[in-house]
Amino acid sequence: MRTFKFKRSLTLVAVSSLLSITVVSIPTAAQATPVCTTASGVTTCLGATSDTAPYMLMTPANFNGTVYLYSHGYRPNVPVPAGIPGYGGYTVTNTPEPAPGGNAQIIGTLLAKGYAVMGSGFARQGWNADSAIKTNVELIGVFKKQYPKTTKVVAWGNSLGGFITQALAEKYPDLISAAAPLCMASDLTPLMTFAGDALWGIKTFFDPTIKGGNYSAGTAGYAEAMGDLVKVFTVIGAMQAAIAANPTAPAWPATSKVPDALKAVPSRSALVLVALMSGMPMQSAHFDSTSAPAGLPASNALSFQLAINPALASLENLANAAALGVLATHDVEQQAGGAVFDNTATDYSARVSAERFIWSSALSGEAGVNALLGYLAAVPRVKGNPAAIAKMASLASHNGKVEVPTILFTGTADPVTTPGNQQATIDKYAAYSAEKWAAAKKVGDRKRPANNQLTLWNFPPEKYSKFTAAGSPDTTVAAATGTNHCNFTVSQYLAIADLLAYAAENGKNMSGGALYTKLRKAGNMTYDRGYNAPKLKYYGE
Amino acid sequence: MIRKTRIKRTWLAAAVIASGSLLATALPANAETGVSASEIKLGITLPLTGAASPGYNKIGNAMNAYFKYVNDNGGVYGRKVTLIQKNDEYSPQLSISKTNELILRDKVFALVGPLGTANFTAVHKSVGLAKRGVPSLFLNTGFSGFSNKKSYPSSFMVLPSYAMEAKIIAQFLKENHAGKKLGIVYQNDEFGIDGMGAFKAAGTKFDVTVPYTSGSQSAATAQTWVSQLAAGGAQVVVFFGVTSATAPLLAVSAAARYAPQWILGSVGSDPLTLRALGVPVAVLNGAQTPAGNPSPNDTSDEYVKQFQEINTKYNTGTAFDDYVLQGMNIGLMTVQALRAAGKNLTRKGLVRAMESKGSTFASVAYSPLGFSKTSNVGHTGYYMAVMDANGDRKPFGGKVTLYTTDSGSGPVVVSTFKRPAMPAKGLPSNS
Repeated sequence: MRTFKFKRSLTLVAVSSLLSITVVSIPTAAQATPVCTTASGVTTCLGATSDTAPYMLMTPANFNGTVYLYSHGYRPNVPVPAGIPGYGGYTVTNTPEPAPGGNAQIIGTLLAKGYAVMGSGFARQGWNADSAIKTNVELIGVFKKQYPKTTKVVAWGNSLGGFITQALAEKYPDLISAAAPLCMASDLTPLMTFAGDALWGIKTFFDPTIKGGNYSAGTAGYAEAMGDLVKVFTVIGAMQAAIAANPTAPAWPATSKVPDALKAVPSRSALVLVALMSGMPMQSAHFDSTSAPAGLPASNALSFQLAINPALASLENLANAAALGVLATHDVEQQAGGAVFDNTATDYSARVSAERFIWSSALSGEAGVNALLGYLAAVPRVKGNPAAIAKMASLASHNGKVEVPTILFTGTADPVTTPGNQQATIDKYAAYSAEKWAAAKKVGDRKRPANNQLTLWNFPPEKYSKFTAAGSPDTTVAAATGTNHCNFTVSQYLAIADLLAYAAENGKNMSGGALYTKLRKAGNMTYDRGYNAPKLKYYGE
Repeated sequence: MIRKTRIKRTWLAAAVIASGSLLATALPANAETGVSASEIKLGITLPLTGAASPGYNKIGNAMNAYFKYVNDNGGVYGRKVTLIQKNDEYSPQLSISKTNELILRDKVFALVGPLGTANFTAVHKSVGLAKRGVPSLFLNTGFSGFSNKKSYPSSFMVLPSYAMEAKIIAQFLKENHAGKKLGIVYQNDEFGIDGMGAFKAAGTKFDVTVPYTSGSQSAATAQTWVSQLAAGGAQVVVFFGVTSATAPLLAVSAAARYAPQWILGSVGSDPLTLRALGVPVAVLNGAQTPAGNPSPNDTSDEYVKQFQEINTKYNTGTAFDDYVLQGMNIGLMTVQALRAAGKNLTRKGLVRAMESKGSTFASVAYSPLGFSKTSNVGHTGYYMAVMDANGDRKPFGGKVTLYTTDSGSGPVVVSTFKRPAMPAKGLPSNS
């Protein structure tokens, strides 16, 4: 197998979509009454809710009574010093975000149709679902007071904002008419298990000096987390270089302390195992786990398809998710009062019982996966803090019980909020619907309860890995659709907005030919009730 | 007046009902996905290109040839059968997207003959075949895990399991190669593991064990396998892998003048494909192999004869080998399954028909079929064969001795099973 050179470091493409991008100015202070200005027929009001969360309302002169409430995604609650790949220079911000990414085209299109938009920056960054839900409830009241002709509120949000949106739909059906949780985060316990497994795997195989959690309180813990970020990206960079130098048998990083005997297994297989055991998709922004560079001999091409490409996909997805894993772990531990990840009882072999066969080549066969799993079974595990774990579990969670129309949409290869999060919500709703149907039948009602949930998926193309003329992976091209975190187009967002408006107006989701036409025009949006995304491993799959 | 009108309406209604009945007889109306009044759409994923494709890439065309023959002879209750082939290049990830394409875009009624253990595992898990109720008939893999009816309620195997095959080889080794130094080269995934578990249970002890990772097979890796086998002094070598691995193993062995008694597993032993991949026929001479079907050259066999005729007319220019035979046979079994499901074809009906009537289907293979309400096991046995100087396969000992068994701890027994006759002109008339 020939070597290759990356045109771009994976760590540089890792985090572009993790941070919410904002385009609006920050309100100066908490204000009970918003301060409004009108320009070009749009009134923009800035203010702050009682918890000091700044908000923004934008309303057109021809306001039609429906307002979109947007909840932004996870923003780290600590600054990230310069020099940290991807995140370097981030400072904590609570700038309000009235539409996805503050996108001017989305905002302009909605305003032009007579809709208003609004969003909060939330009082606290990091995992803030409980407080953000309260903030949003208050914000709805603020808007209605400001615009008494308001008839409908529709909620939407990305990532953590998707979680908040689903929770709003479950808890406050009287306040909102429709909701669209997009690329939604899951409940915290599975989410932190996902992050913990990935970090623990990287630590165990590649650099045991990575702390990976159980960070100290205060500034010491902050320093530990930032140190982890440096180490994680150093490992990822080393693995990228090693695979480029020798794709078949890349060297283990110098920081790795695994026994020499285990190093007979290619380090790329350990990467794949970490991705699989944590529940990460096997397609990434630039690696489809199917393609090989042109011109390779047939046997080498097959090996690249089955073994090398999946390793690169794992590497890129780990690069995308690991940083957020560190930052979120630090954040949630500080909130919960101790370590929230515990893998003392985790059977990683059971975790990959099906995947070990599907990805056998990438895992270097049974011999490879058995050696890697054997090592994981032998090394010390991480013990969590029971009180902190209980506290985490007590934070806002979803029960899937919604009475208002909801629209779920995510990429099936999102490495941060994996599609299993959406699947878990689908399954919870299906169970709730079955309960309702059983109860209805008991009282003689033969009419099946309405289905309020519309689930949409963004599948990556079959093949999208690009290679240079020299046969090296080309990671300078845009991330493939359906991959990366919340990697949606403006057309897709606007289609969701239209579906929300329809649902709010009609009390039910769009269906039939109109729905298919809408999805086809937006592109890469699939309605498929038969699709079943793998849930995060914590859910038991 | 009123009465007259009523009579006219009744007549009109009767006429509509009558014409509806006629229509139902001639052109069955159907609301099931992939089934229209004139067509039944089926799909298959398999490697049509790439290193793993030799041999496998013939199966789809052979099935298609058989379906065309049936279509030219009236189809299945008047409906023509069409098969959409998708090239998954043997990549599980690609199998998932190609199967999604078959189900969502092409809207096939059922999958038939999907190939590859890792591939079908991935498809079943990610595409949700059971949840969708999409039947997947006659899987081209012998992984015994697929016989778990609870996990794979709408899937049906066709090949005997790898565990069955290993048990039968183990018995053969005991009876014919006792006292020899044994070696094995096996694909180190569920395919090989399935077989190795059965060898172990049967008490077979290999002196030299060479696992290889699927996808790593090449002339270079084969050098290391042969070195290990030769260094270990293996006199009898069992090969339990795919054809694209058999070929370099045998070619490298020949070049190194290493000539053990080969026992080639059924999956990787088609002589024509091996020869096309550069294996000298002299190397194949004397190689022993478990076989489920007669030799594709055995024109005294009514199935082979009929399939060869169909191949000549509908699959022009394609050499008739084990893969073509297998593809044609899957076509034959598929048509019987579709007929058994009745004119009002539904996915549920097809699954029910497989469960209730599948064990009676005509098939070229000598062993019984294990389909029932509680079993999705296909064929259940092999005979041992030996290759001759022409690369042809003859029954070991001069006559077919069929061994049957299960994937568990059941014994290997000599079977007296008589396979059903080939339907007249190769056209099933079952219902």
